[in-house]
Amino acid sequence: MSFVDSLLAGLALVGNVESFLALFGGVVIGVIGGAIPGMSATMAVALTLPFTFAMQPITGILLLLGVYKGGIFGGSIPAILIKTPGTPASSATILDGYPMAEKGEAGRALGMALWASCTADVISNMALIVFAGWLASFALNFGPPEFFTLILFSLTIIAGVSGDSLLRGALSALLGLLLATIGLDLVYGTNRFTFGDPNMMGGLNFIAVLIGLFAIPEVLAMAWHPTAHLGKTRSIGNKWVTFADYRKSFRSIVRGSMIGVFLGSIPGIGAAPAAFLSYSEARRRSKNKANFGKGEIEGVAASEAGNNGVAGATLIPLLALGVPGDVITAIIIGAFMIHGLQPGPMMFVLNVDIIYGLFMGLIVSSVFLFIVGSAAIRGFKYVADVPKRLLIPTVLVLCIYGVFAVNNNIFDVGVMFVMGWVGYAMMRYHVPAAPFLIAFILGPLLEDNFRQSMLMSGSDWKVLFRGPITWFFWSVTLITVVAIVRAGIKSVRDHSASKMSKS
Amino acid sequence: MTNRSMQLQLGLGACIAALFLIFVAIPQWVAAPSNIRNIFLSPLFWPYALAGFTALAGLGLVAAGLRDSGDETPLNEASEDPARAWVRLAGMAAIMIVIMYLLPRLGMVWTCMLAFAATAFLVRTRHPIAALICAVAVPLVLYAFFAHVAGVAIPQGTIVRLP
Amino acid sequence: MKLKTIFTTGALMAGLSAGAALAEYPERPINMIIPYGAGGATDISARTIAEPLGTAVGKPLVMANVTGAGGATGSVAVQNAAPDGYTMLFARVGSHSVNPAMKATLPYTLDDFRFVTVYEINPVACAVNPSSGIENMDDLIAKVREGGVTYSSSGVGSLLHLAGAMVLREFGIEDPLNQATHIPLKGGGAAATAVLNGTATFICTNSSALASFVANEQLKVILVTTAEPVEGFDAPTAADLGKPALHQLVGWTGIAGPAGLPDDIAQKWGEWMATATQDADFLQKMTERGSVIRLMDPAEANEFIETQYNTFRKLVDDLGMRIEG
Repeated sequence: MSFVDSLLAGLALVGNVESFLALFGGVVIGVIGGAIPGMSATMAVALTLPFTFAMQPITGILLLLGVYKGGIFGGSIPAILIKTPGTPASSATILDGYPMAEKGEAGRALGMALWASCTADVISNMALIVFAGWLASFALNFGPPEFFTLILFSLTIIAGVSGDSLLRGALSALLGLLLATIGLDLVYGTNRFTFGDPNMMGGLNFIAVLIGLFAIPEVLAMAWHPTAHLGKTRSIGNKWVTFADYRKSFRSIVRGSMIGVFLGSIPGIGAAPAAFLSYSEARRRSKNKANFGKGEIEGVAASEAGNNGVAGATLIPLLALGVPGDVITAIIIGAFMIHGLQPGPMMFVLNVDIIYGLFMGLIVSSVFLFIVGSAAIRGFKYVADVPKRLLIPTVLVLCIYGVFAVNNNIFDVGVMFVMGWVGYAMMRYHVPAAPFLIAFILGPLLEDNFRQSMLMSGSDWKVLFRGPITWFFWSVTLITVVAIVRAGIKSVRDHSASKMSKS
Repeated sequence: MTNRSMQLQLGLGACIAALFLIFVAIPQWVAAPSNIRNIFLSPLFWPYALAGFTALAGLGLVAAGLRDSGDETPLNEASEDPARAWVRLAGMAAIMIVIMYLLPRLGMVWTCMLAFAATAFLVRTRHPIAALICAVAVPLVLYAFFAHVAGVAIPQGTIVRLP
Repeated sequence: MKLKTIFTTGALMAGLSAGAALAEYPERPINMIIPYGAGGATDISARTIAEPLGTAVGKPLVMANVTGAGGATGSVAVQNAAPDGYTMLFARVGSHSVNPAMKATLPYTLDDFRFVTVYEINPVACAVNPSSGIENMDDLIAKVREGGVTYSSSGVGSLLHLAGAMVLREFGIEDPLNQATHIPLKGGGAAATAVLNGTATFICTNSSALASFVANEQLKVILVTTAEPVEGFDAPTAADLGKPALHQLVGWTGIAGPAGLPDDIAQKWGEWMATATQDADFLQKMTERGSVIRLMDPAEANEFIETQYNTFRKLVDDLGMRIEG
């Protein structure tokens, strides 16, 4: 079959009303699901899965992909409006999105989030269509040693999101790493800090920690000072995102999308680290470096580009290798299998019409995302106008429901509360929360991949330096660390110099 | 609290935490099998490494705090009345503990109604009537959504069960 | 005094209503706990049976994934639940025969549960990377004797972990723990990928988890542990190779309640399952995925699991695989 034939066969599959309805409905479900903290894109996809059993394969899969894409964008809405990430992927969006909402620019932040998401979506889909085969074989070169070096490099993001003190950022990251050790040891299955409690054996639930760290401290801050917000403008604001904003952030968006595509095509990393990496790169290269973390629109753009860039690219290992990149694609693989489709190289031969049908559906999904997202922003913007002392109890109740729903476990609600106090203490001591979160995600991956490398090589250190990929990441890590240390020394020198001149 | 005292407090706290981890917590609460061939593969290696780094970061913070002289501007916005602010914080802690106690007994909906009302009045809302209406409505709407749309088994408790 | 009367009356009434509830069980939706994540083998199996089962029960089944610690978190939730038949568990080979056999620190034992049925059997298959040059079990065993062979699993205490060791031992490797290296990964997908990209030499897991890789010729199957050949898997069975002991090495899914589950409720479940597993749609979906539907009544299910547990326990003790910490 020639390319045109495949294209036509694909068009015949998706060229009907049901496919587009499913895709549109999926995006709507996803945006709503993503916008409800604790619901998250993962759960929205899992809940939609049973409905696809009765559908045509392509319709069902398009429905799920719609939910996935919508969910990743939808998560940014509560992240910006109430400082509670709707999905883990949108936690980087909080860093600048929430300060913007505090300044009365929620509408502008949401608009930028949507534009960046849609742009990243298009780039990610294009990458999937053009490079799927090539990126998939590249991703298959990633064994534990390559992962180890990649994650080591990703940990340098911490420097970028530490705010004004690198040491406090490091402290925050260490706390995250320590809390991530709770649970059963990967290699030997022994207990670490579980105190014999079966709930602790599974480790602390990531979403409970995430929501506890960001949303609950706001509740506590409100209890500490209920009238602090009075007199500050906190409404959706008249300012909307402009084309000039978009053009200014365009480079960051494209860079973020590329980072998303790269990390998305490697199974096992996920969207949250991509968003943080994209954010810290944007910050590093921006002229407005000092404004990042205080409501810089480019920060919102970079984070959202990073996480939506992952959405299309995670389909690369799924379609080309049959390997799920994260939990969401693992559920989508389930949908393929229920319909008797087996993702992998043979699918490009046996079911090429379905592949091209999916590609076409994906391209359309970016347009749908834009339409649904615009409508959602208009609907959700009223949240910003709710009196804050009514909003805060609502957030508390919403978090209780949401965190419970993630794993049907009341223990997780307790974890959220405890982490809320930890987060509040960190807030009072000006210890940034973002490094904690990055470390909490990446720490276990770093440890596991290190030990897996040691296991596979029989404790031979040389395995960590096998092949060009490890060398590449070792060198970029080294370069970044040197740059961070130099910047640190410079800031200390500047600091004392300015003090000298003052005195 | 000034920048200097904050750095010092954080640094000392980190050092104490690291010592506690190394001498008490890790030996006591991290189990490791006895027949490990390579120390880097032991479940103990990573926690010990992290505790060491924590101590280093703590020492760094102490050093930075000692270097940092002058600049006596307080860091956090002062509350209008610290004593009452502390009482409210304690109140919030009490609400959370009561929530954890009531959730399995009373069910999520009723507990959340109480929690909503308690929190709203704790922060002295200017809209008491609206707060009461929301306290009833928000948990009910969320229950309807999570239980009937999302199919989540929201805890019901033993007293009054919702459909 | 008066207060006490009220309390007694209340308790009596509660007791009465509980008795009435038993008589007409089920009178409200039943919580079905799945101790593994969405999209996994247990989850898909549970949600497939839930459709015909819900019809048979006549009340909604509320499916709840409670994940963590290799199925332990969800299992404990059911262990501690009231034995009134409103909280039931989808038990799996990993959570209820491998884990109890391997982990001394597990907060539950088989005695804490009452099985009402086992309805699904999954054959286990072992596979290698086609480019590894390993063509059959003999090649693999020869390689193990040379050293440097690794096998991947979805974690410590998973079926995959035990299966790798058990297969090697049956084929004459005396000390599989030291002659081959076990590499635990996070989840079954990652375990299969590890063989795909050469991190591990072989994997032994449920045939359904390997089906797509085998169909795509990314992995080569060298053994299935059942007596009968598995469709789509062009490999000798354990019976062909004269290792009937490996027939015990199969995955299964069943339904269990807390230990104190009354007889009449267990019996009702037996009837419901008999109806549900007759459903043509269910049968077709499950067999397409490579599962074998074999309905066991409560007594048979208990005996099946006990036998498998004892086999695994003996192996674990012989090899010193038990996790004490």
